[in-house]
Amino acid sequence: MPIHAIYTKYMDDAEARNWLAFFRRRGHSALHDLKIERVFWLEGDVRVEKLLPLFINPVHQSAHSRSMFDPACGPILEIAYRPAVTDPETPSILAGARALGENSLAFARLSRRFQFVGIGQAEAQRIAERFLFNKVVERLRGPDEALHSLIPSGTPDPVATISLKGLSDGELIQLSRRLSWYAPLSQLKVIQAHEFERGRPYTDAEVEILVQTWSDHCYHTTWKSLGLLKRLSQATAQINHPLVVSSFKDNAGGMKFYEDWVITIKGETHNFPSSIAPFGGVATKHGGVIRDTLGFGKGAYPIGGTTIMGTMDPCTKDSALPSGTLHPELIVSESIRATAYYVNPMGIPMMHALYRRHPGYAKCLALGHSVGLIPEKFALKDPVRKGDLCLLLGGETGRDGIHGATASSAGMSGETVAKESAAVQIGHPVTERRFATAIPVLRDAGCIRSITDLGAGGISCGAGEMGAETGVALDLDQVPLKDQTLTAWEILLSESQERMMLAVPPEKLAEAKAILDRYEVGHAVIGEFTDTNRLQAIWRGQKVVDLEMHFLWDACPLDPIPIREPQRRETALEVEPPQTPDEWSRAIHGVIGHYHCCDQSPAGTRFDTTVQARTAVSAYGGRTHRMPTHLYVSAPLRGRNYGAITTIAFNPLYGEIDPVAMARLMVIEAVTKAVAAGADYREMVLCDNFYTPRARPEVAWNLSHMVEAIADLSIELGIPFISGKDSSSGTYEADGKSIDVPYTLVVSAMCRVPDVRRTVTKEFKAAGNQIFLVGPIDSRALGGSIYADSCSQSGGRLFMPGDVRSLRRRWDALLAMYARGIYVSASAIAEGGAFLRLFEASFGSGLGVEINLSGLVETEGDERSGEGGTRLDGILFGEFVGSVLIELPPGAAAASDLAEVPHHQIGEVTSTGALTIRNDHQTLWQGAVADLIEVWSKPFKEMLG
Amino acid sequence: MSPATTAVLYAPGTNCHEETAAAIELAGGRVEVVLLHDLLDGTQRLNEFQAAVIPGGFSFGDHLGAGRVFATLLVARLCEQLQEFLDTGKPLLGICNGFQVLSEAGVLPGRSPGRPSMALLENESAHFEDRKVRLSVTAPETLWTRGLSGQILEIPSAHGEGRAVFQGMDSPNGPRVALRYADAAGNPASGFPDNPNGSKDAIAGMTDETGRVLGLMPHPERASFPANYSQDGLKIFKNLVDWLGG
Repeated sequence: MPIHAIYTKYMDDAEARNWLAFFRRRGHSALHDLKIERVFWLEGDVRVEKLLPLFINPVHQSAHSRSMFDPACGPILEIAYRPAVTDPETPSILAGARALGENSLAFARLSRRFQFVGIGQAEAQRIAERFLFNKVVERLRGPDEALHSLIPSGTPDPVATISLKGLSDGELIQLSRRLSWYAPLSQLKVIQAHEFERGRPYTDAEVEILVQTWSDHCYHTTWKSLGLLKRLSQATAQINHPLVVSSFKDNAGGMKFYEDWVITIKGETHNFPSSIAPFGGVATKHGGVIRDTLGFGKGAYPIGGTTIMGTMDPCTKDSALPSGTLHPELIVSESIRATAYYVNPMGIPMMHALYRRHPGYAKCLALGHSVGLIPEKFALKDPVRKGDLCLLLGGETGRDGIHGATASSAGMSGETVAKESAAVQIGHPVTERRFATAIPVLRDAGCIRSITDLGAGGISCGAGEMGAETGVALDLDQVPLKDQTLTAWEILLSESQERMMLAVPPEKLAEAKAILDRYEVGHAVIGEFTDTNRLQAIWRGQKVVDLEMHFLWDACPLDPIPIREPQRRETALEVEPPQTPDEWSRAIHGVIGHYHCCDQSPAGTRFDTTVQARTAVSAYGGRTHRMPTHLYVSAPLRGRNYGAITTIAFNPLYGEIDPVAMARLMVIEAVTKAVAAGADYREMVLCDNFYTPRARPEVAWNLSHMVEAIADLSIELGIPFISGKDSSSGTYEADGKSIDVPYTLVVSAMCRVPDVRRTVTKEFKAAGNQIFLVGPIDSRALGGSIYADSCSQSGGRLFMPGDVRSLRRRWDALLAMYARGIYVSASAIAEGGAFLRLFEASFGSGLGVEINLSGLVETEGDERSGEGGTRLDGILFGEFVGSVLIELPPGAAAASDLAEVPHHQIGEVTSTGALTIRNDHQTLWQGAVADLIEVWSKPFKEMLG
Repeated sequence: MSPATTAVLYAPGTNCHEETAAAIELAGGRVEVVLLHDLLDGTQRLNEFQAAVIPGGFSFGDHLGAGRVFATLLVARLCEQLQEFLDTGKPLLGICNGFQVLSEAGVLPGRSPGRPSMALLENESAHFEDRKVRLSVTAPETLWTRGLSGQILEIPSAHGEGRAVFQGMDSPNGPRVALRYADAAGNPASGFPDNPNGSKDAIAGMTDETGRVLGLMPHPERASFPANYSQDGLKIFKNLVDWLGG
């Protein structure tokens, strides 16, 4: 059939302008112009001119029958999807063409041509390979390449047989590495022994399924071996909280909301793919955690999300980077682009977007949360039954993400970065969006017995888990493919995104299919649940998998991990307190311009925070909607004022001083942030996300004690963890050295409140009001503080927030005052200390504040010998986690509430728009909020260009 | 179908249909989410409804251009229904992606399906902008903005492509600007971020010559519920419900 090409261009091409600026910032300064043409390739006897309305809007685009590029101006590269792969736009083009009456269009593809002006072919090619396409599915099309057909074609590899019989330990390890299994020897030997028992060699699919099921990523071998996996769920069981509906068993945790609804939470990291290909990695991080919500119970609906990134310092010089890593500035900016690309089309409000840095994040932290909403009657799955159908829905299966699970669990090094780029998945949010709409409809119609998302390990993992208690038989020929060259094991293991697996009662199948057709969601029955207790699959007439479920799920050996208590080294802070106003200015600018404290809204405003119309308080608030609130308050039931508040605590600086104390601090910080806003900690649940170095004896000790510490704390506080995730492969190998991530625990708190309109936010409300600091002060505990870090120091010991009884007393006092509306603004102290909060509250209100540091009684520090007296800088910048700043109108009756709680009146709100710091009668420092805004706004804005 | 029901149209990728429908209900209206799929296969007809809203989202993944595929299907497959809907003077509102659909379809500003004369281009900042904006309502009022002229509405805006450009539109009696981005003083906002996309003349919303069709980049449905930071958006839906007769 004839093939036509239509070249289109924009009269004013913002995308081209954007890329040009981006590449120039990335050091391609000779590039002085970039042009883009989009080429529609059409196969069939079509009248091209009839299709033009689909391809251009003549107001700002034009179409041509040949390229408008003059080859003399610079190298031209055309990026197209691989011949075996379907373009994501193809269905839209075909549907549009049919609508326009051109039924003879057999197939269509869309490629992009870039012309680079000012640089040579080799540099252009490097740029394209690095930024413009994904080699797994796309390629550079040769300029004179003949096209015979656009329709995807190709031949898959045949099924291979793998025998481990007689292989030595060394040979097993070699094989495991060559085939990207990254399995420990103990597992390989169990698999080897099992081959003997069952009396026949494996197919490639069988071994692939075993090693990925047993990978740390899927099987949590490190946590299981240390006896940690059940620790938090046991603590939650012990608490026996009446609001907990589902914890740790399902794809997310669920908490009772109001009026027969349940809210859910899940956090998921995607560190390895985001480190090697940040755009694809971060996009699919969101896609994956959103599917965890859709896969909760019989299908929850996502109503909020987060993006949390930990990278090396984006200002790191190229020469100082560990070899093989991407530049952290690139990781951050690509992650922002990816989050906008994925989450905005999903129509899910961004609750929190946090960016943190630490030199240990050579393998970056890429975490996302998803919060969901589901009727209580659908919050628990039913067990699948024999005869239920295994319905795959969503996108087609492709070559992307193969070996994602095993590669994620492997040590990351320059070598794996190069070898495992295929492990990064490709995200198409519109596909996920379609089933996000359809799943609640299927659920309400009773079509879902059970549902799970397909992520790591793909179909094999989803079917294997769902059919673990019964058995499942799959027919791989029924799986819709977007790449015709996939062989059986690749179909089973592909981590192609935007797919869900359902167990559908047979009598509901016709109804389910009709619903999916109406909502235009792809679907296929790919198997049936059985009673064989086996995972079975056929492909092209061959039996390619026949594994016993109990071997798959119970035979994985756990290597013992030795434990040794690490030596702690505390480096005392060596910073002289500021003496002059100039020195105070330097200290203040160091804190508010610090990467963790500065204005991150240049990233955050690229994400939709108000979609779904449930948002009551978003991440940015105050008078100009720019003040970080450190809160997200949703009103999930539209028209009702019941609220779900989420807060986040994440601090990579504390972990390197004392991981166990850090873990406790994160819990207390997340809870206190919510309590300050008016949330009752008795109606609150927690979600944990660990990211730790590979388990050596000292790491194992720290990790075990972190988990023990928060399990105990949750029991003492009565606040249960309901979901969480561990990643124990935070080590990067380069140049003969290991770089460990800082001990990372991100805690998110989620609580329900009866009326969102009563949320107390941070910005000051009126001049003349008094500012109280409620909770202990310890001006010498500057360990891990932003202040110390801004002086390039770790800063000595961490702040101790007090025991559980005193914390409870403090929270109870706050809640008692909140109930009577006593305080009008509040903020929990964390990174950047009280000063950052005072600045933010001033900025958010247009008011100012005058602080007096004299006469403050330290709760901890005074009792410590040899540390000297109060540090004034320590009062302002000390991170008294668990302490809260509140604003009281004059004459507010707070005395009895605060009688048993340490508290200080530290200042007064003013109408001046200035911050004044006094010590008794002496003015230490004074400055305009407007000047500070400039310092605070700069770092992120400059980084993003 | 009972009288005075508003259709909220859903196409794959639409993501604001639920809250838009809920806001119309809160305003006292009757509403039904209608799948484009069902209109295309004839199960439902546009003219069964007295008003229609094309809500926000990324219909068809913004493939080939924001709103393009939706607009093509609307014009090529439902042209008669659409024309009849317009000819009978029924209210039609496009919000965000819905505005993009109406402009790609040629319905706005010139009521000429199949012949687009405006486009909503990528924001000047070249990326998605999530902002809480102020809108000033211009006179003369339309059915959508009745009683609101001179007022400032606080409504969120969230889009990547909202910079309006036009081809040959200077007739004084023709289509016109219905809402503008405003600065703190209430004047048309030329600067970022009060004007989040760089639209000339601070254009946030356009109406056709009849005032029955409105395209609006910001999202009134997100400032409609008591829990939201503003309920100014509800005024627009109340006007629709009033016009339809309660």
